[in-house]
Amino acid sequence: MIYLYQGVALLEINELKQIVEALLIATPEPLTEARFHTCLGDSGSKIPLQEVISELASDYENSGRSFFIKEVAGGYQIVTNAEFESYIKGLFSKSGKLRLSQAALETLAIVSYKQPVTRNDIESIRGVSSDSSLRTLLDRKLLEIRGREDGPGRALLYRTSTEFLQYFGLNSVKDLPRLREVEDILAEDDNELV
Amino acid sequence: MKNQLHRIDLEMFEGPLDLLLFLIKRDELNIYDIPIAQITKNFLEYVDLAKELKLHSAGDFVLMAATLMKIKARMLLPIEANGDDEIEDPRTELMNMLLEYKRYKEATSTFSEMERFERPHYYHIPATWSPQQEDNTAILEDVKLYDIMLTFQYLIKNYEEPATHSVAVEEVSLSEQVGFLNGLLQAKAKLSFAGLLEKFESRLVVVVTFLAILEMLRSRQVQVKQSKLFDDLLISRGSTFGN
Repeated sequence: MIYLYQGVALLEINELKQIVEALLIATPEPLTEARFHTCLGDSGSKIPLQEVISELASDYENSGRSFFIKEVAGGYQIVTNAEFESYIKGLFSKSGKLRLSQAALETLAIVSYKQPVTRNDIESIRGVSSDSSLRTLLDRKLLEIRGREDGPGRALLYRTSTEFLQYFGLNSVKDLPRLREVEDILAEDDNELV
Repeated sequence: MKNQLHRIDLEMFEGPLDLLLFLIKRDELNIYDIPIAQITKNFLEYVDLAKELKLHSAGDFVLMAATLMKIKARMLLPIEANGDDEIEDPRTELMNMLLEYKRYKEATSTFSEMERFERPHYYHIPATWSPQQEDNTAILEDVKLYDIMLTFQYLIKNYEEPATHSVAVEEVSLSEQVGFLNGLLQAKAKLSFAGLLEKFESRLVVVVTFLAILEMLRSRQVQVKQSKLFDDLLISRGSTFGN
């Protein structure tokens, strides 16, 4: 099959799949549509990456590969299937990925819904000092510092990073589940009391 | 025995708000109408324990205890009816804090689930010497402030001050060091921060020079690049250099 765009033969689909596969293997960050077009140059600017990806993805699925293509952080990346975790763990000195503490997760939740935020914003919601959670999250690159607040003290502003999206398997922060409204929580509590 | 039980409990809580939510749920209290006297008493028991255990967050618990006692005191005061002014319940602020915290606490369990779901998946990552890192001078275009701070910490740790016993007042100012860096950059396109360190005789000068670099970075007089974390910082002219 030849990939056609407005009647013009561009590239054969098999060749395209190979190109995309090679890009996915070599990419240091999620492969975006824009980056894909840069890689293909003029000839490829009309080819929708998403179509090639879905062809490739069904190839992988049908041939029983140990990995799949994940849509993450606005692009695509190759990720291993969950069932191989126990073997993969052996590659690392620590026993698999470290889990985040409850405090770090709370801090992360606040930043992801309210970003950009200062440390003070976080602490006034949590009611505890959050220095060490912030440090852990910065060290693990799940958060990054994005400038300073304009107000007095010019406090640092924190944001979530691309690594954050990868860590939680999200395509964008917009994909986070909606935060429940206070009214909903209260309504539920009232029911509990009855 | 009783303490043992408490100890386990206390470490489960993320902070005073978390503990209060627990007490409200356990004793089936109405969050709209919190019995302050009762909850303060229960809360204080935990705080004493937190102090005893020297918990990292003990200070936050003590602060909340003070807030609770303040609310309790205010509720004992006779309410002055001032015409039609609406009288605010002294507990309102605390209630709002608890509700807001509860929203994020709920979201936290979602994050925890997402983490558990993503945990067994591993990303394909190319070798660390991929082409973009081969040109050693211009690798990370986008050096984060946090990276610069870490590097500074790392470099200054290795910087030993010569042991001397003379006491002299050192005069070095930020603007002086900005001028100094400006001069150097006029002559040379690139400066190495580690190289600069070798020229200085005191930590104070090092620190002030570092601050000067941050200041110039902010006003875009210089740009800073780094090949990897903790590596030397390379300083070059920025977009507003010489203006």
